[in-house]
Amino acid sequence: MLFETWRYIGNNWAYIGRLTVEHLQIIAVANGSAVFFGVLIGIFVSGRGRERLAQLVMYLASIMITIPSLALYGFLMGILSALGLRSIGFLPVVIALTLYGLLPIIRNTYTAITEVDPAMIEAGRGMGMSELQILWKVKLPLAVPVIMAGLRQAVVMNIGIAAIGAYIGAGGLGQLIFRGIANWRPHLIVTGAIFVSLLSIAADLLLGRVEWLATPKGIRTRGRA
Amino acid sequence: MIKLEDVTKIYPDGTKAVDDVTLEIEKGEFCVLLGPSGCGKTTSLKMINRLISLSQGKIYVDGRDVYQMDVNQLRRSMGYAIQEIGLFPHMTVEQNVTTVPRLLGWSKARCRERTAELLDLVGLSPPETFMRRFPNELSGGQKQRVGVARCLGADPPILLMDEPFGAIDPITRERLQDEFLRIQDEIRKTIAFVTHDIHEAVKMGDTIALMRDGILVQHAPPAEMLAHPKDSFVEDFVGSDRALKALQLMRVRDVMDETPPKVRIDESLETARGRMQELGVNFLAVVNEDERFEGWVNRRVLRRSGEQVKDVMMRYTVTGRRDTPVNEALSLMLGSAIGNLGVVDRRDKLIGVVTFRSLSEAIQASYSEDEDPDEAHAERETAA
Ligand SMILES: Nc1ncnc2c1ncn2[C@@H]1O[C@H](COP(=O)(O)OP(=O)(O)OP(=O)(O)O)[C@@H](O)[C@H]1O
Ligand SMILES: [Mg+2]
Repeated sequence: MLFETWRYIGNNWAYIGRLTVEHLQIIAVANGSAVFFGVLIGIFVSGRGRERLAQLVMYLASIMITIPSLALYGFLMGILSALGLRSIGFLPVVIALTLYGLLPIIRNTYTAITEVDPAMIEAGRGMGMSELQILWKVKLPLAVPVIMAGLRQAVVMNIGIAAIGAYIGAGGLGQLIFRGIANWRPHLIVTGAIFVSLLSIAADLLLGRVEWLATPKGIRTRGRA
Repeated sequence: MIKLEDVTKIYPDGTKAVDDVTLEIEKGEFCVLLGPSGCGKTTSLKMINRLISLSQGKIYVDGRDVYQMDVNQLRRSMGYAIQEIGLFPHMTVEQNVTTVPRLLGWSKARCRERTAELLDLVGLSPPETFMRRFPNELSGGQKQRVGVARCLGADPPILLMDEPFGAIDPITRERLQDEFLRIQDEIRKTIAFVTHDIHEAVKMGDTIALMRDGILVQHAPPAEMLAHPKDSFVEDFVGSDRALKALQLMRVRDVMDETPPKVRIDESLETARGRMQELGVNFLAVVNEDERFEGWVNRRVLRRSGEQVKDVMMRYTVTGRRDTPVNEALSLMLGSAIGNLGVVDRRDKLIGVVTFRSLSEAIQASYSEDEDPDEAHAERETAA
């Protein structure tokens, strides 16, 4: 079987490449949106007097993660078709992955911002920075590495979940797996699994590097990654 | 000029942290807010730049009610140093120091120039090295210097400082205090400075505002507070060894002769001898053409052979500054060959001379200021 898998990969480079690109597209769009909304929500709920709201939001986001992805796709298909939108393929999968990606990003944004040393904020405020300037010049730069760590978690997690999206026609490496199951061709399943894993590992390494680069020089603790 | 008028602060939980305080800090005055922990010093300070709101009363800065001003503009017009230093770890020393200048939209070149100037001022040289560093590449003392430099950033006329030297070891602290006094001598800011260290207060302040349980007990120059404590709390707080402290309190600038007999380094020995005769002194301070202090001549060395003063003079071994405490000056003088102390400014220019005679005269004068001769006598004995 290993031999078969090997041969299959050798003969189907272009196809596997296309599926990988599809997979990456889903991940990029979903996690891009997750970062965008997650950071905004994280900043919003870290505001003064919003502790209760923050707890609630993070509670909801963590419940979201426990919903099995197939079930979530199902819900979304229902909602999307009720709204008259395309209910299978790319869109529901991207939305689902965005929702899954929110938790680590909201949580990390919130934690990073609320844990910025109050002395620093007081110094900034006392020197005449506006609240927006404090957010932009002090809190966010300090939070970036932590937010990036959240993104990394979200991406690695979502690469696996995205494979299931092939079931509702979103394409990506999951297609290999589902075709392998449907036609009982184990080497397809193995190929799909290998590439999904490789993608996760590569993303993890790459984002680790990005995380390090995004960390402001003055707070880097370890040497060059 | 800062004026607190019947200021009261009651925190939401009912704590009365500041109770009907009226305090006026003159332009150019270095006012130390002193008192035991929890007496309301920090609260008072933070009400000035509106980090804490007032419950009652008014605060004026240069005659304007602080609540009539734009809050960020108000804060940018006064330097603020917090006890925890609070440097921004993701910014270089230069970026930290120019926080306010950049908020005010200064150009890059001007910011750079200002950074170099300030780092030099607080003794972090060479500035080129330090300005590129990050806070985690500095020692505790260096961080506090950067904190002080940052608070001076845009050259604000007013400084609010909350235990700016609190977090460092006594030796470095002493040195920073000395340096800061020297800086203040040049820049003359209006300063509100919080400490709970009586020695620091006595050393640094033009005036001390002593607080207890939110109440301002006494606001007076240190010497006056030591001499005439308003009540037993003040007396206990400032300590009983008043005479000793009064001695430490005096600075070289209070006792030095500001027009010392002097001679230029390239004048002839003849001229030097003539001047000593004429002025009736037995030494002359030697300066160069830029008024820089070079050394001494007395009758003995003038008997040596040579043409110009520089051929025979004794190079100085020790010098003092305007703000050197008198007790320190005394020990320096005892260790120097000539028994006098040359007082120089930052550029080594001679600005005065302390002699044993000027010293003992000044000390005697300070004793006779005390109304009660018996008490003064008793104290002299304790001090001895
Ligand atoms: N946010 C707050 N809420 C309630 N009480 C407070 C608050 N901040 C300070 N206090 C109380 O107000 C009083 C004065 O506090 P403040 O911080 O001004 O003291 P301090 O003189 O600066 O003391 P220290 O020398 O310890 O810094 C204290 O009793 C303190 O517990
Ligand atoms: Mg305090």
